[in-house]
Amino acid sequence: MPEPTPPAPPAPLKPGPTPTAVAPPIELPAAGPDEVALLVDERPVVVKKGTTVLQAAERLGIAVPHYCYHPGLTVAGNCRMCFVEIEKMPKLQIGCATQATQGMVVRTANPRVKSARESIMEFLLINHPLDCPICDQAGECRLQQYANAYGRGRSRFVEEKIHHDKGVPIGPRVVFDGERCIKCTRCIRFCDEVSKTHELGLFERGGHAIIGTFPGKSLDNAYSGNTVDICPVGALTWRPFRFQARVWFLRNVPSVCTGCARGCNVELAVYDHRIHRITPRRNAAVNGYWMCDLGRQTYERLDDRPRLERPVATGSVVPAPEAVDRAAALLRETATRHGAASVAAMVSARLTLEDLFMARQALKQAGISRVVVPPHESGEDDALLLRRDKTPNARGAELVGFGRPDAVATARLAGDIAAGHVRGLVIVGEDPVGDGLFKADVLSELDALVVIDAWQTETAKAAHVALPATGPYEADGVVVNFQGHAQRLRRGVPAPALAEPSWRWLRELGRRFGLAGSWNTASAVFDQAAAELKPLASLSWRGLGGDGHPIVDTEP
Amino acid sequence: MASEKLLLRNVGRENSHTLDVYTANGGYQALKKALSGMTPEAVLEEVKASGLRGRGGAGFPTGMKWSFLPKMGDKPRYLCVNADESEPGTFKDRLLIERDPHLVLEGIILSSFAIHCHTAFFYIRGEFQKGARIFEQAIAEAYAKGLLGKNILGSGYDLDVLVYRGAGAYICGEETALLESLEGKRGLPRIKPPFPAIVGLYGCPTIINNVETLANVPFIVERGAAWYGGIGRPKNTGPKLFCISGHVKRPGVYEAPLGIPFKELLNEHAGGMLHPDRPLKAAVPGGSSMKVLPAARCDVLLDFDSLAAAGTMLGSAGGMVMDSGTCMVGALLNLAEFYEHESCGQCTPCREGTGWFTKILHRLEAGQGRREDPDLLIDVAKRVEGNTICPFGEAIAWPVQSYVAEFKSEFDDHVTKGACPFGAARKG
Repeated sequence: MPEPTPPAPPAPLKPGPTPTAVAPPIELPAAGPDEVALLVDERPVVVKKGTTVLQAAERLGIAVPHYCYHPGLTVAGNCRMCFVEIEKMPKLQIGCATQATQGMVVRTANPRVKSARESIMEFLLINHPLDCPICDQAGECRLQQYANAYGRGRSRFVEEKIHHDKGVPIGPRVVFDGERCIKCTRCIRFCDEVSKTHELGLFERGGHAIIGTFPGKSLDNAYSGNTVDICPVGALTWRPFRFQARVWFLRNVPSVCTGCARGCNVELAVYDHRIHRITPRRNAAVNGYWMCDLGRQTYERLDDRPRLERPVATGSVVPAPEAVDRAAALLRETATRHGAASVAAMVSARLTLEDLFMARQALKQAGISRVVVPPHESGEDDALLLRRDKTPNARGAELVGFGRPDAVATARLAGDIAAGHVRGLVIVGEDPVGDGLFKADVLSELDALVVIDAWQTETAKAAHVALPATGPYEADGVVVNFQGHAQRLRRGVPAPALAEPSWRWLRELGRRFGLAGSWNTASAVFDQAAAELKPLASLSWRGLGGDGHPIVDTEP
Repeated sequence: MASEKLLLRNVGRENSHTLDVYTANGGYQALKKALSGMTPEAVLEEVKASGLRGRGGAGFPTGMKWSFLPKMGDKPRYLCVNADESEPGTFKDRLLIERDPHLVLEGIILSSFAIHCHTAFFYIRGEFQKGARIFEQAIAEAYAKGLLGKNILGSGYDLDVLVYRGAGAYICGEETALLESLEGKRGLPRIKPPFPAIVGLYGCPTIINNVETLANVPFIVERGAAWYGGIGRPKNTGPKLFCISGHVKRPGVYEAPLGIPFKELLNEHAGGMLHPDRPLKAAVPGGSSMKVLPAARCDVLLDFDSLAAAGTMLGSAGGMVMDSGTCMVGALLNLAEFYEHESCGQCTPCREGTGWFTKILHRLEAGQGRREDPDLLIDVAKRVEGNTICPFGEAIAWPVQSYVAEFKSEFDDHVTKGACPFGAARKG
């Protein structure tokens, strides 16, 4: 094999483009000390030193096709799809690994570059099974995407393709197809660099090279789903999503994961009124490009227990106004009979800021001052995303004045109920019986138990009045993550017909006690909260946009 | 063979691999000279002035390569000796390692001294078990005699040399794959830049030199650059080991000054063609990964620049000779299978292209070729060439292009006859 030639000493590059006979020279803009100015497809751009040619092109909106490059991973440079032509360099260069330098002249779309990309496409497809009709990646596959621009349309390869195992359970949640794989090694790099779990490697050589797990290992880390997201082809598929829906039928709703206090930005993939998968949406301030496997499965909570579908008062389905009337009456009677201190409330840090804010307004109006927020913790904070606090909005509960989730206060409330000091209780979004915090027979002693929840929980079953709420991903709202980053949840799927966001039930309940105000949307409630709560003062519903915004003056 | 033997001066002697025999025949005099009176910079300058070019394949000037090292910083500098000789038809380094390890070692010590390196790695092909054992012995002898270790020959210069055995991959002869392998990883070539002189082994400045290259250094240091520059041809100086194999009477390794005519190597050193009734058909003077020359163009001088002018390369000087009984489709298939097997699989064009070549060639040789196959081979080769991470792509793309272009009619015959005209001397 010929040895590579070591570099010649770099020739000093003259700033500015080389003038050609026809085109007038394009003036390069001035670059600062840490910057370089270059031309990409005749367009000037100034970028920070160390920026790659591919990134510089992206800055101009010029997409350089690529498979192996991923902004969240180290550069591998193996797919060779991102070839660009750079003046004064005899060979085409890969845009992902070539740093932009002062005066560089880059062409990303001339015939030579196009021809090289066509070569790469042909090479990638000769051993690819072309099983798009049954491939879950179809519709969001980079091979398909680039085949439009760079595909030959007809194969010159007439031989038997190389065969590999298909449908391999490479991990409990991920399935691997060795024939679709293009060996870009994104998945390997993810497990080495991001999850740092090192399960995957490249085995064998040449055309027989194949991704696999090291002996005794399985792709079973808390973040394994990300390998599926970043797989540019259909080689890695997410088991719960396999063969569930064609991606072109999916409506992707930008939202926020409700699985823990991180609040990873996600897309809810909705088809036929169901969420079929949840994938991460980039947010540099919160989750980067990633999310955990648990978060991907949070939508399954919606259906894992029977829903509370209708308002129920003392065992009978009743119209909503009647149910709220009944709830208010019971609470009022209890307070009258046993004193205001005999009525308490439990609200959930899983509720949105709007729910919690309205809970505060309504409970205050009803004279209920004792409010506890039970904690939901498991595991530990890890080095990447996962938080021990499994609620998405503990900071929001603190913001509206309920304090942080508090196990001691929750236990004390349980004790006071058992001792008969607390005779009336409003529970919003919590199932203390199901969670083992309260005994069911303790609740049955209460004079007034009003439950607002999405599910027919053990607690709801014990309630005098149970009001059906929307579940996660069924309503708009704001949550504040553990960093104090306020973000908007967007409704992905419809709730059962009679379910309402908890804040609406609370508004109605509050009105029975004279609460004024006519908030009809979550945004109106949020903006009211922003007007009243100092840390939210600079925020508005619209201003949160897709990426959210940090709240002010709230050190964790 | 008018010229003095230098590189092979000891190989015929009994126990030539021992320190005693080496020193009895003038060994380690260059080291004494350098350590007693020369600065590292002076050694480097001498090597630069000698015009020594790398013997591993690319023929890059060795002194210039060394001078690419950045200024001395906090990081150590390493010398890695590329003893992963794996090119089909190349077996010159093996001879030096097994028969004259101390010549190589003296070259390593001198070169390490020249580049301020205190740890050198000897990366040897895994299959060279005998060579590795002999070289380890030589190192042990050198340590015992104060030629390695702390304060070499009382000069204050320290050097350790470590032997690392490869695990059987051709690609690890590519210098950055070698570094990866040496670091304990899968042997995959790195993306360059950065080049190893800047970011090499364990991220430190590293020089990688071929065994034969380093074996030249003692002569340069001992006798001077001017003397060395007188051997060979301008810009192609020094003695060279030429391997020759294939259809010749005496295949083997021969030493001659750079620039010896190919026909002289073939007829005088290797004893001419094997079968008197089968004349020369083609030769690859440089090694399997270089372009083939048809007999009519074999009147060439064997040096870097002459062969480049002839449209091929000196490479590792692993000359292969094919006579008129050779099926060029079969010969290329043989090569293609090797490169398919050895492609590391990292980058797309090489991983996919090498297998495609083999499949097309198999069909051609089996008489199932299509009219467009020869052109397809060339087209695919052009799409591999220049598009890969390392030069492995060219190592197969060049042979494919040249075999098909130079012997197009033979490829066409396979198609039209529906069979190998040579009776499929080689069945897939």
